[in-house]
Amino acid sequence: MHLNEEQLILHHYHDDDAPAAAEQHLAACAECRAQYQLLRSVLALVSEAPVPELGPEYGSEVWNRLRWKLGRQPRVRRAVWIPAVAAAAVLAIVFVAGAWWHSRTSQQQHVTPQLASTTSTGAMQVAANAPNTSAQGDRFLVLVVSDHLDSTERMLLEVANADPKKSLDTSASQKRAEELVASNRIFRQTATQRGDARIASVLSDIEPVLLELSHARNNLSGEELSSLQKRIEARGLLFKVRVVSAKTGETELPPMSKGTNSL
Amino acid sequence: MEMSDAAAVSRARTGDADAFRLLVERHSPMIFRVAWRMTGNEHDADDVVQEAFLRAYRQIDAFEERANFSTWLHRIAVNCALDLLRARKRADAHYGGDPEAAELIGVLPGSEPQQDRLLISSEMKDAVAAAMERLSGNERTAFMLRHFEGMPVEEIGKTLGIQVNAAKHTIFRAVRKLRESLEPIVRTTTRTQCT
Repeated sequence: MHLNEEQLILHHYHDDDAPAAAEQHLAACAECRAQYQLLRSVLALVSEAPVPELGPEYGSEVWNRLRWKLGRQPRVRRAVWIPAVAAAAVLAIVFVAGAWWHSRTSQQQHVTPQLASTTSTGAMQVAANAPNTSAQGDRFLVLVVSDHLDSTERMLLEVANADPKKSLDTSASQKRAEELVASNRIFRQTATQRGDARIASVLSDIEPVLLELSHARNNLSGEELSSLQKRIEARGLLFKVRVVSAKTGETELPPMSKGTNSL
Repeated sequence: MEMSDAAAVSRARTGDADAFRLLVERHSPMIFRVAWRMTGNEHDADDVVQEAFLRAYRQIDAFEERANFSTWLHRIAVNCALDLLRARKRADAHYGGDPEAAELIGVLPGSEPQQDRLLISSEMKDAVAAAMERLSGNERTAFMLRHFEGMPVEEIGKTLGIQVNAAKHTIFRAVRKLRESLEPIVRTTTRTQCT
């Protein structure tokens, strides 16, 4: 009687009830021994893939990002992922509409400039549904990202221009920041997948700041505000966002097919 | 003498920011590794680290002093990562499997780099990542916790909110999928080394 796969897995993780019996069998049975060796080799291969190396300062970096949020009393608040869940739910609805729309416009072999004025959520869908030819897809990506960058720039400007000697009321912008975090994440991953390192890099830079704003309570103290302003300035975030926005503004829309009618 | 976790937690409860800082700096790398193995993405892993410490700070009064802080924090991080993966799964569902458009949850599991380890090729890394992508959220988590974290199956069941037997079979399924994907590579490598 051979050891089955489950018994081999249990033995590997020392979860079997009778390890000595399994050892005895493996010593005597070449077939099971070969299977066991194969299993161990597969799991060893999985173990070999390295985790990104962290610098010695990683703990301090985490603390520096956290510290300004901890100046308040602990409280129970809603999970940070809720905006992402909400965005996902909205995306699911938009998908149906987007698929219908895409199918309709494909049939007409027609692409309209109205895409650029879709909402940010709809824009995410359009980015995802964009044609897979890389050139056309990239143009779609920069077009839909431009709206997102505009909103982000406005939020960064509010923070950058606020008076650090006073606290900043963030009650109205916190929800917007949460939405921007959710959409930023999706745009960043889409950009990465499409190989647009320039957009991905900028989105990656602004995400931690948006995240901090989304975590803010009703207001930022002067100290917190000042810290955030320094980060925005040190990383040149506004400049980067404007540069990318300007470049997306130069991007042409996908050419219309010959012989098609505009809407 | 270095402050113990228990002492740091006691002081953090009284509002001592330096004590909480010590806990953050001490445990961040461990939490990052857990988060990265579960999400396969550095940005997401960073988000999970942040969220885990925020939750820990808010709930620190609920921490039982007899318990191990590292284990408690570990569980919070796993829950944060699971929340993220669930949110991501919902977002993925509507893309209908289009790999270009979907938000990929690539997971590249790993462990501490060691000098005496064999270097694996980028193709193998890709193969491992692809194999991990075949796992469901629960399979990925259960496998990660058992394989990399050495968590007992009973504890994995509690973490995932499933029975022990179900946790065990989740691990079996995960390993079976990994074998299906990676055995051909292992066999080829073994043959190459033999010749």
